[in-house]
Amino acid sequence: MLRFEATQLILKHAGDRPIVANLGPTTDELWHAQHRDRNFYTYGNMGLCSSLALGMAISTSEQVISLDGDGSLLMNLGTIATIGREQPKNLIVVVWDNEMWDQTGHQQSHTAMGTDLEQVAKSCGITHTATVIDLEELETVFRTALEGDGPWFIVAKTEQSEYMPVSPIEPEITLYRFRNSFSS
Amino acid sequence: MNWAEIIVQALKDWDTSLIAYVPDISIDQVTRLIDADPFFHLVSATREEEAIGIAVGAYAVGRNAAVFMQSSGFGNTLNAVTSLCIPYRTPIPMFINMRGGPGEFNIAQVAMGRSTKPILDVLGLVHFTFDDDHRMGEILDGALKLCHAGRQPVALCLTRMLHGGKVA
Repeated sequence: MLRFEATQLILKHAGDRPIVANLGPTTDELWHAQHRDRNFYTYGNMGLCSSLALGMAISTSEQVISLDGDGSLLMNLGTIATIGREQPKNLIVVVWDNEMWDQTGHQQSHTAMGTDLEQVAKSCGITHTATVIDLEELETVFRTALEGDGPWFIVAKTEQSEYMPVSPIEPEITLYRFRNSFSS
Repeated sequence: MNWAEIIVQALKDWDTSLIAYVPDISIDQVTRLIDADPFFHLVSATREEEAIGIAVGAYAVGRNAAVFMQSSGFGNTLNAVTSLCIPYRTPIPMFINMRGGPGEFNIAQVAMGRSTKPILDVLGLVHFTFDDDHRMGEILDGALKLCHAGRQPVALCLTRMLHGGKVA
């Protein structure tokens, strides 16, 4: 599955829900798929995508979607344990798992060598989990996640793809615009 | 009020209700009060960098947040502070138990404890040190006001002279 097509699928069902995107191509592809006030683009904050989403989920009643990556999440596996401990019902973590550090030269990540992030989530007490390999499976699981209580942890296996142009993200404006959308 | 109660009151005065922390024996005097108070949501993080991420997430949806840690853990926050807090301009108060000063018994705490304030200075982040509770409420209130006005983290450094610290 191509990450960009999967991102478009998430947006198709996400409505106005806040989405936090991992740094690099995940942020760029979210911007190209649909720029919206409720996109929180991370930019260099490696490993912190799902920690940000956790802080949001604890602090709003709305469902929060994290679009994380295998390499980033491996840097901060502890946050899966914190999600398991906090059990936020309104958090959906989707991990784009291409089994590599794509941006730094396609080096294999630990998920290519046996690390199973879904099992990590399960062992941390997250009961709603799935691993999906195509768009059809992702759509089915994601729609189920939107309709019920979480936390959800969905590993989506993606393939290598060409980079899109770097998105014109300004961190300060991202935070300001995103935060303002919650001020009503 | 003692120093721990002064901190709790300042957090309430600034409507700061999401607290992310990594446990510390001295700061426990504050986090114990926070944990028992329904005004707050206390999140136990696995690492200080994660605590910063959680706090920024809360702020991003309109809830004020603060973090508690030890000076050794401040070293763990630097990726989050420099790539998230500073460029995104997020006012996160960082309460730091300062190790490595007078009375320190653990050599492993000395280097990071002594480097914490110089690192804050290099990053351009304001810090206040509390050796006792004299005018602490007033200074803390001003520090939190400054934190929000500048939309940058501010460090509140709590020393063994203030809280009694851990003795070997």
